[in-house]
Amino acid sequence: MVRIYFAGIDLGSTMTKVVILDEDEQVCAYVVNHTGAEHRRLANKVMEEALIQAGLCIEDMSFIMATGYGRINVPFADKQITELTCHARGIASFFPNVKLAIDIGGQDVKGLKIRNGKLLDFVMSDKCAAGTGRFLEVTAETLGLKLEDLGRISLGSTQKISVSSTCTVFAQQEVVNHLSNDVPLEDVVAGLHDAIASRVARMVRRLKVEPDVVFTGGVAKNIGVVKALAESLGCPILVPEEPLLSGAIGAAIIGKELTFKALANGETIQTGERRLEEATFFK
Amino acid sequence: MTQETKPRALNRLKSMYALRAEVDRMYEGGVEASEEGKPVAWVMLEGWSNAILNAMGVKTVFPENYSSLCAAQGMAEPFMERSEAEGWPSHLCGYARASVGYSARMVDVGGKIPPEAPGGGMPKPTLLVASGETCDARFKWFQSLGRFFDAPVWTLESPSPGIRERLSSETYERNVQFLIKELKAFVAFLENLLGKKMDWDMLEFTGGGTNEINRLRWEINELRKSRPGPMHTRDFWSVMTAALFRGAADPEVIIEGHQKMYDEVTERVEKGIAGINRPEKYRMSFEGLPPWHTLGFLDQLAERGWNFVIESAYRPMRPRTVDLSMYDDPMERYVRRRYRSLEESLQEDYEPDEVEAIKNEIIRDGTSSRLGLKHISDYQVDGVVLHVLLTCRATSAGLNLLQRKILDVLKVPSLVIEGDIIDASAFNAAEALRKAEAFEETMDHYRKVRKELGMPW
Repeated sequence: MVRIYFAGIDLGSTMTKVVILDEDEQVCAYVVNHTGAEHRRLANKVMEEALIQAGLCIEDMSFIMATGYGRINVPFADKQITELTCHARGIASFFPNVKLAIDIGGQDVKGLKIRNGKLLDFVMSDKCAAGTGRFLEVTAETLGLKLEDLGRISLGSTQKISVSSTCTVFAQQEVVNHLSNDVPLEDVVAGLHDAIASRVARMVRRLKVEPDVVFTGGVAKNIGVVKALAESLGCPILVPEEPLLSGAIGAAIIGKELTFKALANGETIQTGERRLEEATFFK
Repeated sequence: MTQETKPRALNRLKSMYALRAEVDRMYEGGVEASEEGKPVAWVMLEGWSNAILNAMGVKTVFPENYSSLCAAQGMAEPFMERSEAEGWPSHLCGYARASVGYSARMVDVGGKIPPEAPGGGMPKPTLLVASGETCDARFKWFQSLGRFFDAPVWTLESPSPGIRERLSSETYERNVQFLIKELKAFVAFLENLLGKKMDWDMLEFTGGGTNEINRLRWEINELRKSRPGPMHTRDFWSVMTAALFRGAADPEVIIEGHQKMYDEVTERVEKGIAGINRPEKYRMSFEGLPPWHTLGFLDQLAERGWNFVIESAYRPMRPRTVDLSMYDDPMERYVRRRYRSLEESLQEDYEPDEVEAIKNEIIRDGTSSRLGLKHISDYQVDGVVLHVLLTCRATSAGLNLLQRKILDVLKVPSLVIEGDIIDASAFNAAEALRKAEAFEETMDHYRKVRKELGMPW
């Protein structure tokens, strides 16, 4: 029996994610890589890597859906769709009872009100990097720590400090000040996580907080922020096994739905040119 | 071989251009008057002083509107930078900042119009007329502008009672008497300053003309309820300046322009022509003041099939006939022709049983959940864009409450976009477009919800 496959590519501000699903929505391959400044030159490479991992070629893909802020720069995608819609669909595929999803990525924070996989409402931060992944990256750098160690370190806190600013620049000043006053590192990091959680909680409360609450995006890998967010919202937080992939998975699922709908209606599936190459502005 | 080009997303009304040109003429008229040594006033939009000034032969120009004009032409930034250099905070109203910067530049060039001023510029004022209406920034702002030119500033007060109080006929009558007293004091001030008497016949004439313009604007807006919406909000914004910010007493040209616009919109309705050159996928309302610096943003939304068929700001009032036969005092006639009670507005806009329900709600709660929603249901809107202004508490403070009301009562979702009227740096168009794309799914969902509930759209 011939299997059919669907790819979703999520070109985020910090990370590029590709997922290949089969028709049963099982993940055949996934690749996560840094987007970098030249993301137009990277998308095809990440896709190629995912195809090699799955032992497939691009012609095996029935549909390729692109999402994320760089989605228009994916010349091999058949269609582009907003990442909010894809996140909602992807998250609901892991947690069907999700009511509120929080996604903290590299450059923004999103709150999504979801019912049955559909996006009912949303809020987004859009004016600065406060409370985003970039904020934690800069913090880790200031503290001379690895980004992935922040969560573990914060769990050792016994008396977390209060960080009044979530402005990326001003918060660093506060951190330096606390450290110079001999405040233990774990208390400083836990305080920073609290500041993020408090800002995000304020934002998503506009959507009404109802379980299941799901947390995705790169920052969801930080156990310290997960803990702080659960405390701020006063409810348990669910985190998928790989929180970076919800957008790409959602994109692939929507691609699958479009394909099956077209097949059911006896229509031809509208695919693009499928140029597995760097995006340029001249084609 | 001819290359087929896709038409622009917006289908602008031809009649709009003539009315838009009247705005330029208004500013040119101010400059000409100044050159001829005639008085020119810088005025705030408050609904009362302009007709009085025009009737006394004073040309009027409007710093708020002029700031919008600068922003629309991408020329507001240098004036705002100048106001910050003068020590004005960056979180102050964009209208205020741009006009403060403009005034500082005028002082630089010896009281003349700065050479970089777009649209001909505003000439040095003989006087300024401020108002306490709408927001608190207005008090100090014009006072400060006056100091740049050593020009007198008159601040007109108008009553702003609470909603519950506005239901009382006693309050209404007190407000009428208050306005008459205030405006008579204003006239006395002008007579003293200009050394001439008020032309009351001219006030009656220009006041009547204003009513006619309002009637035509109302009729045009009624036509906009059609599907597809025949007139986009950008056309409304382009012409509202000519109607509301009039620089001279004679209303005939503006009336004629609106009559032509009414005819063109009527023709569009009959032929099923929309205000956008794309299929009308979503009927939209714009709540709040426009992003004057980035109006092209709405063209990008029109490209997606978003037709802004109505808006909350600058809307005309339902025309009415008032029996003035028992009033001889021309100022009382002027006030009573324009000032209407809440009771009267409710009777005009709602069915009798609705009026009673709304009044009961106001008496009980101090407000009604139905107020401010009528245009959303009348125009059968699919979604609302709420423009939250980071520098304007007056227009932004209630928007979140409105958002909840619109969703709870009418099942119509809202998209919140943060920005500023004048300051382009406060607006992130790319982010707003990202949100807009995702918002379509939300609008689709609530369309189904309304259908399930048996709502008419």
